[in-house]
Amino acid sequence: MIVRISRFDPDKDAVPHVETYDVHVASGAHVLNVLDMVRDKFDPTLGYRCCCRAGQCGSCAIRVNGKPVLACTEEARDGDLIESLELPSIQDLITDVTQVVAQIAWLNPRAASLSCGCGVTHETIEEIKPLRECIECYSCVSSCPAYAVSEYAVPTVMRQEQRLNLDPRDVDDRIGEAIARGLFACTSCHKCVEVCPKKIDIPRKAVEKLRIEAAKRGLSLPAHMELARLVEETGRSIERKSTSFLEYVPDVIEPEGEVRATIGFFVGCMFNGRVNQSALDAIEVFRKNGIRVLIPKDQVCCGSPLIRTGLSNFVPELMQRNIAAFVNAGVDTVFTMCAGCGSTLKKDYDTPFRVADITEYLCEVGFVPPTKIAGTYTYHDPCHLLRGQGISKQPRELLRSFVEKFVDMPAHCCGAGGGVKSGFPDEAASIGAVRAEMVAATGADFIVTICPFCEYHLRRVTGLPVKNIATLMLEGYLK
Amino acid sequence: MENRDACHVLVIGSGGAGIRAAIEASTVGETIIVSKTITGKGGCTVMAEGGYNAVLTSEDSVAAHYEDTIKGGAFLNDPALVEILAREAPDRIRDLFAWGAVFDLTCEDKFAQRSFGGQQIPRTCYAGDHTGHEIVMTLLEKLRGSPVEIRDELTVVDLLKDRNVVFGAIVCNREGELGTITADAVVLATGGAGQIYDMTTNSTAGTGDGYALGYRAGAELIDMEQVQFHPTGVVYPYDTRGRLITEAMRGEGGILLNTKGERFMEKYDPSRMELSTRDVIARSIATEILEGRGTEHGGVWLDVTHLPKEQIEIRLPLMLRQFLQFGIDIRTQPMEVTPTAHHFMGGLRITLETQTTLSHLFAAGEVTGGVHGGNRLGGNALADTQVFGFRAGRAAAAVESVAKRKMDTVQIDATEEKISRLYEGQATSAKIRRLMKQIMWNNVGIYRNEFDLKVAERDIAKLRAMPLVISSPREISDAFITENMLLVASLVIDGALLRRESRGAHTRIDIKASWTNETSPFGHTFFSKTRSGIEILEGRL
Repeated sequence: MIVRISRFDPDKDAVPHVETYDVHVASGAHVLNVLDMVRDKFDPTLGYRCCCRAGQCGSCAIRVNGKPVLACTEEARDGDLIESLELPSIQDLITDVTQVVAQIAWLNPRAASLSCGCGVTHETIEEIKPLRECIECYSCVSSCPAYAVSEYAVPTVMRQEQRLNLDPRDVDDRIGEAIARGLFACTSCHKCVEVCPKKIDIPRKAVEKLRIEAAKRGLSLPAHMELARLVEETGRSIERKSTSFLEYVPDVIEPEGEVRATIGFFVGCMFNGRVNQSALDAIEVFRKNGIRVLIPKDQVCCGSPLIRTGLSNFVPELMQRNIAAFVNAGVDTVFTMCAGCGSTLKKDYDTPFRVADITEYLCEVGFVPPTKIAGTYTYHDPCHLLRGQGISKQPRELLRSFVEKFVDMPAHCCGAGGGVKSGFPDEAASIGAVRAEMVAATGADFIVTICPFCEYHLRRVTGLPVKNIATLMLEGYLK
Repeated sequence: MENRDACHVLVIGSGGAGIRAAIEASTVGETIIVSKTITGKGGCTVMAEGGYNAVLTSEDSVAAHYEDTIKGGAFLNDPALVEILAREAPDRIRDLFAWGAVFDLTCEDKFAQRSFGGQQIPRTCYAGDHTGHEIVMTLLEKLRGSPVEIRDELTVVDLLKDRNVVFGAIVCNREGELGTITADAVVLATGGAGQIYDMTTNSTAGTGDGYALGYRAGAELIDMEQVQFHPTGVVYPYDTRGRLITEAMRGEGGILLNTKGERFMEKYDPSRMELSTRDVIARSIATEILEGRGTEHGGVWLDVTHLPKEQIEIRLPLMLRQFLQFGIDIRTQPMEVTPTAHHFMGGLRITLETQTTLSHLFAAGEVTGGVHGGNRLGGNALADTQVFGFRAGRAAAAVESVAKRKMDTVQIDATEEKISRLYEGQATSAKIRRLMKQIMWNNVGIYRNEFDLKVAERDIAKLRAMPLVISSPREISDAFITENMLLVASLVIDGALLRRESRGAHTRIDIKASWTNETSPFGHTFFSKTRSGIEILEGRL
């Protein structure tokens, strides 16, 4: 098996370089076994950490083909590129984690608790448990877009803050501490969950929960409070400046030709109030594909901006209104074209109907291929579609079917999510700049995406035309 | 040499016992904890799955815990140490709980406890099947909030000694630079040496450095032949062989089957079955395999498929996930298991205050001998780390501060001289370790006899005579550790030859004895630079 390892000797090298090794290992061998073999056969100075060899100590986290993994549990494959985590390098695969460790808070036990049960119950334990599995491998640190450009103190630090916040044995104020360590800088991209060997859902189980506590104490960001006020007053997170989408479309839109299926349309605030055209384009796409679209007019904001920022008091009412609207319309499937709305309806709601992303639905029922469109296109995975809904293949399938040239691009947060764009515009711009470089590397003339927030933000940071996938499909149909 | 440091208490090793000792010592004086890994990651505590034994209910008693431990230990334990273990384990788990440990609680908000092998009543507290990880995380939180100075990735090369008094250590960092840390007292908490065997549950760091450091400094060790083979280790894939499958599998109701589908423990221990002690089960499995009733990969079946799926998901989540990675769903498929080197019951001889036979040198946890006798009960190791870690920290801190000791340059010069010779050696650490692991696995395993042991003695001696080679300073630590492992291997063989009986985990198939564990005339085997042998209990002859 051939593997490539990024080597770095602080005494000799200015930057890391990649070396190739041909090793023989047993079938089912893990990356750690490969590293052992390279050290034993080729170079005893190869630097890497390992201890338990069973995925329990977190020493051996590295990147394989760009993805953070534990070397002891990741199966080795021919051609693997093995690199250190994206942390300050010490030697080869060994990184300096001291700065991160220094930020992880510790429990400050109340003096009296030495003798009593200190109010810890079975329920407390069960609540803390999911936050307790962290093995401090720092994979999340290596992958966090907010940590890379802001004062955000990394995902696992937030995990620990919430773990302590839940614990009655701890006496310190963890909310103030979490805010000081960048609580509002998380974009809720969920990359940390994707790379976590223990799959700890830090954004939902720690960040959002801490933000709720912050909200209770009136410590939310002013921009977020303003947004929450708007939603409570108008049912929408976007201020009405002109006629909204829902105000001028009919309740039922019949397709061209035979009716193959009927679907509800959950519009979302951005498409309703700001970028109406994309929503109109989506309706046209469904008409061309023989699908009847029902648009209940009493639908409101999904609540995502409130849930992500911790200002969730009003969310139950929004949920009730939205569910009632679509139940009354009598649909069994509802589609979204906003990644955030889709992810919220799927994960935070308990809907009596099915929710599907527009691309997920079209690929499932089949679509008329649009006429080929000229130009080079790349696709930006919205975090709330990729990780929130597990959808990455369908948009690519659609695009590949009708664009002249499609260049794939690895996923990376654009910086627009989690209330960061309104709360910390500078951070959003910095994360966006990282994304803009990745876009430039593809050489694409157009970016396609399925999230109005990403769309808006990418347009600004890249200067390139950004198109909603529905709009682009319609262009093909109209050719 | 530029890296010189001084403190009141130096703790070597950062598993459960080491961190507990450092926390305790730091309440009295300046304390440094040295770890050859990142603190908390290297020891075996973090890998411990099943639990922590403590007497916490009125149905249970210290006397019962004591009795189970002595009986399980084949009456080779030091009774006074066992008494302390049973008596203080409850207080130490309460410490952990007060410091934030997330142990499973019952619906009545009491510590949940389950059955482990060799217990009269369920006594094992737990946090799912990652109890050790939970304990280490709790200790790390406490440590990070304490004034202890943490020194990561520093290997101890030798203890510093002035006549019979230990006063610090020579250390070597990742770059191969030597340094010294002087201290009024030193605590060894370096864990066991499973890594001298080809198949082991131990972490990479389980190389028995403390046994070697203590021995070279002149301390006495006992019962080094007593190596526990955990009955249930992973059989394949090849590179995962030896990994631990927790005893909690059997505690929750898992059964052992041979390839004929027989629940074979009926033959070996019909009353306790799968909850017999580890030595008995490991021997039973080994016999089934030797007699041709094993699987093609050389194991037997451990089956939990009859348990409710929910019980497996909630109580054994880590195991479930780990096996799913290998494509095995333990809710519907049995696991293939075989015994694997696990715990060293032997080690440094200590007093109740954890004092070794050298002044100012203390020890706690797996590096010590006497607590577990000839066989350790599941759940007693985590308790051991906390009970004796606490005692070691307190006792070391109580050593009176002395005026600055004069540095013995002879010791440091000798180390530097040794390092310079390494560049002219012949055999790599990797090669020596590979050979050693095979010798130990094949000749000094579960079933032993004089002939195989003699062969092993000769072959390990040959390896020790081969000069180790390095090509860069970054390999210095590894070379010293390899030497430590070889020394430990030879002590295990010495003990196995000295103990002419089957006792606890040590089984001599070439010797038939007329006595029982309780009436055996033999006490501890003992080893130091000046004497070695086996204690004869005159009264029983």
